[in-house]
Amino acid sequence: MLNRPALNRTAGSGAAVQARGWGWRYGTRKAWAVRGLDLRIEAGERVMLLGPSGAGKSSLLAGLAGLLDPVESGGDEEGELLLDGVPARQARVQGVRAGQPLTGLLLQDPQAQTVLARCGDDVAFGLENHAVPADQIWPRVEQALREVGFPYGIEHPTAALSGGERQRLALAGVLALRPGLLLLDEPTAMLDPDGADLVRESVAAVLAVTGAGCLLVEHRVAPWLAMIDRVVVLEPGGGVHADGPPEVVFAKQSEALAAAGVWVPGVRIGRTRPASRVQASNGGTSDPRRQDAGTLDAGTQREQLLTAAGLAARRPGQVESVVQDLDFTVQAGRALCVTGPNGVGKSTLALTVGGLVAPAAGTLHAGQSLDAGAGPDPITWRAGELVSRIGTVFQEPQHQFVASTVAAELAVGPARVRGRHRPDPQQVAARTDELLERLRLTHLSRANPFTLSGGEQRRLSVATVLATAPRVLVLDEPTFGQDARTWVELTALLAELLAEGAAIMVATHDQELVDELGHPDLGEVLAL
Amino acid sequence: MTGLIALPGTRPSEVAFIARANPVAKLAVAMVIPIALILTVDPVTAGTALLLEILALPWCGVGPRRLLRSGWIVLLSAIPAGLLTLLFAADSGRLIAGLGPVTITAGSLTAAAAIALRILAIGLPGVVLITTTDPTDLADALAQVLHLPHRFVLSALAALRLFGVLAQEWTMLTMARRARGFDTGFGRADGFGLGAARRVGGQVFALLVLAIRRATVLAVAMEARGFGVDRRRTWARPSRFRRSDLAIALGGLLIAVLATVAGVVTGSWNLVLT
Amino acid sequence: MIDSTAQAHQQDQKDARLSELWSPPRLFVAAIGILAGVVIYLVGLPSSTSIFGTPLSDLTLPVALFVGGAVVAVAASTAVAGRWRIVDIVVASVLGVAGGLVFSVWNASTQPLRASMVPLVGATIVGVWLFPAVLGGLIVRRPGAAVYTELVAAVLSALVGNEWGFATVWYGLVEGLGAEVVFALLLYRRYGLPTALLAGAGAGVAVGLLDSLIYYPAVLDPAGRLAYVAIATCSGVIIAGLGSWALTKALAKTGTLAPMASGRAAERV
Repeated sequence: MLNRPALNRTAGSGAAVQARGWGWRYGTRKAWAVRGLDLRIEAGERVMLLGPSGAGKSSLLAGLAGLLDPVESGGDEEGELLLDGVPARQARVQGVRAGQPLTGLLLQDPQAQTVLARCGDDVAFGLENHAVPADQIWPRVEQALREVGFPYGIEHPTAALSGGERQRLALAGVLALRPGLLLLDEPTAMLDPDGADLVRESVAAVLAVTGAGCLLVEHRVAPWLAMIDRVVVLEPGGGVHADGPPEVVFAKQSEALAAAGVWVPGVRIGRTRPASRVQASNGGTSDPRRQDAGTLDAGTQREQLLTAAGLAARRPGQVESVVQDLDFTVQAGRALCVTGPNGVGKSTLALTVGGLVAPAAGTLHAGQSLDAGAGPDPITWRAGELVSRIGTVFQEPQHQFVASTVAAELAVGPARVRGRHRPDPQQVAARTDELLERLRLTHLSRANPFTLSGGEQRRLSVATVLATAPRVLVLDEPTFGQDARTWVELTALLAELLAEGAAIMVATHDQELVDELGHPDLGEVLAL
Repeated sequence: MTGLIALPGTRPSEVAFIARANPVAKLAVAMVIPIALILTVDPVTAGTALLLEILALPWCGVGPRRLLRSGWIVLLSAIPAGLLTLLFAADSGRLIAGLGPVTITAGSLTAAAAIALRILAIGLPGVVLITTTDPTDLADALAQVLHLPHRFVLSALAALRLFGVLAQEWTMLTMARRARGFDTGFGRADGFGLGAARRVGGQVFALLVLAIRRATVLAVAMEARGFGVDRRRTWARPSRFRRSDLAIALGGLLIAVLATVAGVVTGSWNLVLT
Repeated sequence: MIDSTAQAHQQDQKDARLSELWSPPRLFVAAIGILAGVVIYLVGLPSSTSIFGTPLSDLTLPVALFVGGAVVAVAASTAVAGRWRIVDIVVASVLGVAGGLVFSVWNASTQPLRASMVPLVGATIVGVWLFPAVLGGLIVRRPGAAVYTELVAAVLSALVGNEWGFATVWYGLVEGLGAEVVFALLLYRRYGLPTALLAGAGAGVAVGLLDSLIYYPAVLDPAGRLAYVAIATCSGVIIAGLGSWALTKALAKTGTLAPMASGRAAERV
């Protein structure tokens, strides 16, 4: 007979976690996600959970939320995972029946957490599921929206929200239930810096007011440090690797953490670019803002591969242009970093330059060597001509996969090339091997692209574009949702490509990437 | 393409009697009338039903412009269906015109009118339903009034919201395929053949992968908010089926009955199965 | 240690399910099915109506047996197939929505083409409207998955706007049932290629009958109707049956189906 402590603690005042030798294995995996975990977290403690991918951080959060069920999902469980002395799954059911859950889970993907079409309804969803009396629902919805500082009313359509606003809405939905423990699974990983700030502020405010505890998983650690009491580092497939106050853990474990892809505070990454061989003589502009078409670094004749004049871009299917009247050039061996706030049109511009969306106004012309007989407007090129001239790397790698193995993916591009640049099978095979090697994908060459991890998928999407050796590379948010390790690799790869003479255009809100590639030695910044 | 496909979004502020009604009442009308019309092919039944529906239109609060905007597909498909029947239906009655195998007789004229009117009469209540009902209200009504299982109704509503997202993904997939070297659209490199089918199939496959992945994450998000644990649940937006709603539903039944009676009385009603 | 506990648990589950096999609701439905079959046999089908030239009264006994047997089988099989989890419901819903999207794109882009097709030629592509039913059944593997998925796709297609309005929903229901009957008769245990093809055929027969008897009655004579049903069935087998099976296999390889019952059939990786 299980102990059933009365749920008489005040709403939201913290729930204690106890893991005793806890382990979990998913039904379709041989390896255990977590094993032998011994951990104790007091009510109201704010803990950050770190570790390499595969260390079971998300599994622990899901387990605490009571969502891992061996019977339902065919997985295996060992040991105990208790919330206030009650097994987590049971605590979830009890919480729903009592109308007061112990935990609230916030996930990574803002789009996936929006359930209903109006903001107020979405927040009320959780309250309805917990059988909160109808007359109490709307006051609590309004209060939760106020607490997260949500700028819109309850009738506002959720389709019109930005990523950061969506996450705040999801947070409001969690908070309306007054959980004692907030489980945050990389809540800002898929947000731009402004959106991430909004979410962080909301979480900080809530923690201060309610005294709830939190268990946070994140890669970009520094901004959260102010609200964290304790850091726990997990080992892959095992238990706790390190545990203690933030300063201590970061001091002792900084190498291991950096290897795990964490942005360890105080450790600067970046600056991995090769020393530039061609220094712009100091007549070159050091103004990080717009560089007009026709201005070349004094003394350096760079080939102009794409020239935009009065370019206006619009999203497919829309009538209004989102950006207008732009003049810039994409030059060989230089990076053009397009940056700006969320929604300003960076992605749209990238797709237009990539020859995938017709310009709304103005012109985008390819230089002589890029044109090579296909015509001056990339949008008019056939796909087979486009693929060997301009390569586009999409924000979501999964949009680009067309084959069933990694090796086949790399072979697709060269096979689709039309015109003079068409390579022969031997060249293709050699290039495939070289790319697999360069991007550390050789051991995955027979794997299905969709089974790869996030970082591996990102590397594969870049590799597929490089397979046809295009002279211009357009990348839409390449570091989006990636950890520090992948960030470092990507930046180094892009710097190498620049040194080899490729032209790169990057649309990104990642300030560190802009600092890296937009440095006057390497490229220009176009701020929208 | 996404512009072509528009789903009802925010709740329209409706004043008209039928527009304000419980969605279940409107749904009943939209689903009961087709049953009566589907059983027969004759212009009197279809015409009577259409006439009665048009008479009820002023209470629906749908102006002619909105009606046209939402219902143009129905209108547009009545024409070719009518023409097809006119030219190829079994001949009966007086010959009106003929050119080789294609003949237009009095019988085929009647049949053509029947088919066209039938499409319009079936389509109209559906158009009214769509333009005056918000999907969330419809889901609330289905679960609270008809007591359909709330796990299914709300999951379907949540999935419906993803429609717009998936439509955008489809556009991205098309662009990504062009970036990988695959031309889009028929008549280009692959034409109509097996190549085109494989390419489109591949794109549908990619869409399904993305859709299912979103679905599994959405399921976790919904469960994390307590969904599906208990049968007990409260409703933030109560949906009530009033007597006026019953009247509307019965009105739809009445239209179906009157149309059938009109057809039977004039002798033009004939059961399709024979 | 863990494995034996898990096994014991699974055995408990099986015992519980068997004893619950003939729970009151299921017993009730099965009894209704048997009763319906008996009534059909005793009363007999009318001889005045005929289908494809054969008077219905000749088909009384086979129809009675089929109705009774099918209902009992369906009622029984819903017990062994497991309860719908939330992830099952949401995935089936999203599959339906994706299917509805494909319908919309397909309907819009092929409308002029289809409007100019004679019915028998149009029958070759009806399979496109049937794939959500078979796909839903193969992926989700729960009783009612085929009907539910097809229904969601049909409702969405009606909401977006199409030529048939809300009659689409009735069509979707019947098409889904056509595929569902096959899964049910196989007791929701078999999900290989033959099942997929049969389910496609079932849905094809359903839509063939609906179209030839209800939508095109004035344009086709009995021989034409028979041909229509035959062609529609083939279309269902190939496009909906074979196509859905191929899609499911490919999806399983991407690891996307891991949380589903269809993913669990694969080996641990």
